[in-house]
Amino acid sequence: MAKWGMVIDLEKCTGCQACSTACQMENNRLPGENYQDVIYYTEGRQPTPSLKWFPRPCMHCEEPSCMHVCPTKATFKTEDGVVLIDWNKCIGCKYCMVACPYGVRFYTDEKALLEPNLKDVFKGEGELSWNPPYKGPQQDPAHGVGIQPAGVVSKCTFCYHKISKAPKGVPDLDEDVAELREFVPACVRCCAPKARYFGDLDNPASKVSRLISEKDGTRLLDHTGNKPQVYYLTGAGAAGSAVPSSRSTTSKA
Amino acid sequence: MEILKSKVSRRRFLQATGGAGAAGAVIGGTGIGGLQTLGEAQAAAGDGQTKINTSICGQCPARCGIHVYTTNGRVHAIYGNPEHPIANGKGCPKMFLGTYILYDPDRFKGPMKRTNPKKGRDEDPKFVPIKWEEAYQIVADRLNALRDKGESHRFGLFFGRGWGASDVGVNIVPFGKLFGSPNVPIGHSSICSDGSVVAKQCTDGNASYSSYDYRNANYLLMFGANFLEAFRPYNNNLQTWGYIRGEKVPKTRVTYVDVHMNQTAAAADRALLLKPGTDGALALAIAHVILTEGLWDRHFVGGFKDGGNHFKSGETLDPASFNERWTSGLVEWWNAELKDRTPKWAEGVTTLPADLIIKTAMEFGTTRPAIALFERGAHTHSNGLYNGMAIHSLNALVGSLYAEGGLAYQMGPAYGAAPANPDDFLDEHAKNGAWKKFPRIDLQGHDDGYKLAKNMIQEAGANQLSGKAGYKLDTALFYMTNPAFSTPNARDWEKAMETMYVIDTSPFPGETAWLADLILPDNTYLERWQDAPTYPFQGWPLAQIRTPAIKPLYDTKTFGDVLIEIGKRIKGPTGEYYKKLDNVENILRHLAKGFEQTPGDNGVNSFETWVEKGSWYKKPYLWRQVRGEFFEWDGKGYNKPMKADEVKAKLLKTDSGKFEFKSSKLEHEAAWIAAKTGRDPKKLAFPQWEEPKHTGSGDLHFVTPKTALHCEGRGANLPNCIAIFQPTVGGRTQAMAELHPSVAGAKGIRDGDRIKIKNNLGEIEAVARVTELTRPDVVVLPFEYGHWAMGRWAKSRGAHVDSIVAQQSDRVTGMANYYTGKVSVEKA
Repeated sequence: MAKWGMVIDLEKCTGCQACSTACQMENNRLPGENYQDVIYYTEGRQPTPSLKWFPRPCMHCEEPSCMHVCPTKATFKTEDGVVLIDWNKCIGCKYCMVACPYGVRFYTDEKALLEPNLKDVFKGEGELSWNPPYKGPQQDPAHGVGIQPAGVVSKCTFCYHKISKAPKGVPDLDEDVAELREFVPACVRCCAPKARYFGDLDNPASKVSRLISEKDGTRLLDHTGNKPQVYYLTGAGAAGSAVPSSRSTTSKA
Repeated sequence: MEILKSKVSRRRFLQATGGAGAAGAVIGGTGIGGLQTLGEAQAAAGDGQTKINTSICGQCPARCGIHVYTTNGRVHAIYGNPEHPIANGKGCPKMFLGTYILYDPDRFKGPMKRTNPKKGRDEDPKFVPIKWEEAYQIVADRLNALRDKGESHRFGLFFGRGWGASDVGVNIVPFGKLFGSPNVPIGHSSICSDGSVVAKQCTDGNASYSSYDYRNANYLLMFGANFLEAFRPYNNNLQTWGYIRGEKVPKTRVTYVDVHMNQTAAAADRALLLKPGTDGALALAIAHVILTEGLWDRHFVGGFKDGGNHFKSGETLDPASFNERWTSGLVEWWNAELKDRTPKWAEGVTTLPADLIIKTAMEFGTTRPAIALFERGAHTHSNGLYNGMAIHSLNALVGSLYAEGGLAYQMGPAYGAAPANPDDFLDEHAKNGAWKKFPRIDLQGHDDGYKLAKNMIQEAGANQLSGKAGYKLDTALFYMTNPAFSTPNARDWEKAMETMYVIDTSPFPGETAWLADLILPDNTYLERWQDAPTYPFQGWPLAQIRTPAIKPLYDTKTFGDVLIEIGKRIKGPTGEYYKKLDNVENILRHLAKGFEQTPGDNGVNSFETWVEKGSWYKKPYLWRQVRGEFFEWDGKGYNKPMKADEVKAKLLKTDSGKFEFKSSKLEHEAAWIAAKTGRDPKKLAFPQWEEPKHTGSGDLHFVTPKTALHCEGRGANLPNCIAIFQPTVGGRTQAMAELHPSVAGAKGIRDGDRIKIKNNLGEIEAVARVTELTRPDVVVLPFEYGHWAMGRWAKSRGAHVDSIVAQQSDRVTGMANYYTGKVSVEKA
């Protein structure tokens, strides 16, 4: 069984947010609640300010703190290493949102960022808390895929509706391989500078394993012990996109 | 646990823990049903199968190939077409917003006519639905009546996005010729980027955007062309960036010039944040250093007869001492302008340290191949022509024109003939009618207007009000342009629309539609047929085709078909011409016949294969300059040497057949330019420094850039776009005004405060984002918002930046000076 993981090359990332928009298209996300965001930081002062950005999906940790705190075992780890939420079990207590060190979980019934609320424009019924006309065909509440019912937490699934259909035993899901394209997570498939790679971390011959080895893949907040399955390549002298630093962001006017 | 109990009782916890997920997990499984908001087109019975349609995106001029995924009659996903040479299976952030455009709940549902004779922002048009047949007849009756009265010039057709006028699906140019109006069509290029087009025409003779061979370049010097946010083809730029910065050996070095820190500036090796409107001064200083340091390309430019280098700052030279090869006027330019444009001088103009200018010049001059590129940031000022010419001259100095890793111009596709030739359908009125005596309403090409510009849509509204062109339009039709919102001083256009019969064809309820008398709603780009020869890309010809992924959701029609239907109802041979064209699909089938003789590299040799693959293309680009020699492709390589007259006819299309540092085009018009601008007729043909004439009033420059999420003007009504519109400074519900802390501090403005941005034209309100990203003399507020129509999310959101941008245009290029205004700010 594969252990799916992602590698994000910050030397290539342009901060364009296509990963975020492809994610919201594929996963029917509401405005401002994409399963994955690009976060921007400003440091330094004129005439030498710096702007940096950092793309952040769910880390699909090997030791997910969100899972450990879940009182109903709604959050679980699949055999192929993906952290998912079973909406049939989720009670919306939000413990997981507090426990997650990466801030990548979303509660369904937050106040809408933008009015009119899309949920009121495209009303849903029954188990669908809303129902936009552009909704995708996949609906799998046991794996947290599709449109949420009311009152649950949701998160990035590594596009589980795609990767779970992939042929067994492939080392990488590479969008440039025609037979595999439909099984690649949206944020990886769309990425124009090809800053994202998706593959089997347990397979030493996979591209993701090679990149982590050759380019010194690092994990965000590794000290928490969560052991993310998303690795970042910071390159030599990567400009623009970067792991958030501790440089002071305060400045005197 | 009380919380658990109550939740479980509301949910079907036990019932569902077992198999509920399994049933829905199948891709293309059972349909969801409950199509509550749309009509019967959507309610098609679902068979659960996913259909993938090959088409092209419509959210910027790049027109990336897309695959559109439809299941049970609903479009739910769009990805890049892997076989399309621009998209390569990838997408920019806009590509994935397409379904929101298709299903925008504020779209027009069918043709309508106005019943309230009064027009204005506060006048409800009281539109009533009509049938398409009635709509066509209303337009045809108006146009036939104008023609009968000898007033056909009083009909105007204004269009926006278009690579040429052909990618409507029908070429709209013949309508003017057949019907008889100088105002059919008037494009929007003067509010787009004509500044660069005309700057290139004045130097190398090509009135066009350039094609670029970025992947083979080792140095990119970008002036105000926001490569990673707004420059096209955006998707391919991003792909290029990943390659040149993450994989290519050696890594391409990038210097980026702008007025605030944006993503391209941040990702570049060096960001030069200069004073707005001074890009030309920087380029001139770089040229100065290239010459004084002897770094120019001897093969392309030539050299001193004695083999030395005699360019010394401040000293003139004898032009006869230098043998020029493919350039013309170098020493004259040096003597008239360049000799004094030292880095120290440029520091005083641009505020950039001289040592950084020298470093940049040394890098650019010593790294080959190198490209200098520019767009609106550099040329939307009164001195835009010269800024552009100075920057483009750098390409000549380092020999990048038509070189590998350099820049060139785009070839057109091998289209077949259209179903009919308009020249066979000209009647007496078309050939010799009174309309021929009238200038265009925008006075483009006219001595009293913008003689050398390509279009002047931003002047047409004011001229309609003043009667400056000697007449007023009776009827105007708008396609993919909304001048009542998007032109500088848009109020003129707004008032002008009250004085004419307005026909709008947008699918969306924009400002022009609100002022319209007739609404003929277009299909969105996922519902229509259309062809699109590529926007300038890599030079080799490429033509993509748009096909409907889904039947129109509503009673809307493709604009190309609407124009043909109107044409059919014009009396005389014009009607016969349009009957021959019949419809857009028929035209596309005729165009595709050209591919039978010239099959594409991807095997496309017919209409059917074009539709299947989504594009026809044929590599390579046919010409290349190698070390100062020009060669043509002979089928195997760049082996056929070109003579000077061939180079002049095909590549360097100036009077001299060379790249002209002294522009013959400007020399020919020197008297007119001097009279209109006060420029020195002896010097005006050279790229030179000229202080920009800033409009407005106040102590801050007001810069209103395009962001990545512009979505061809529709972003303001897409909630999923608004939420990520301005990510660098956190503009999530509207655009925020970037203000330097020193400015904010002096005015008592805190981050997040509402502020007034004002000048002599008026004032707008915005939310301040106090940030070090922006220069202390600049306030940055991206354009997009401030609509007073356009849909439920767009209306009244944010500020309309163009309401405080004056209508000043470059007198030569016609380019609207969008980024040259001055303002002051205060706490609201």
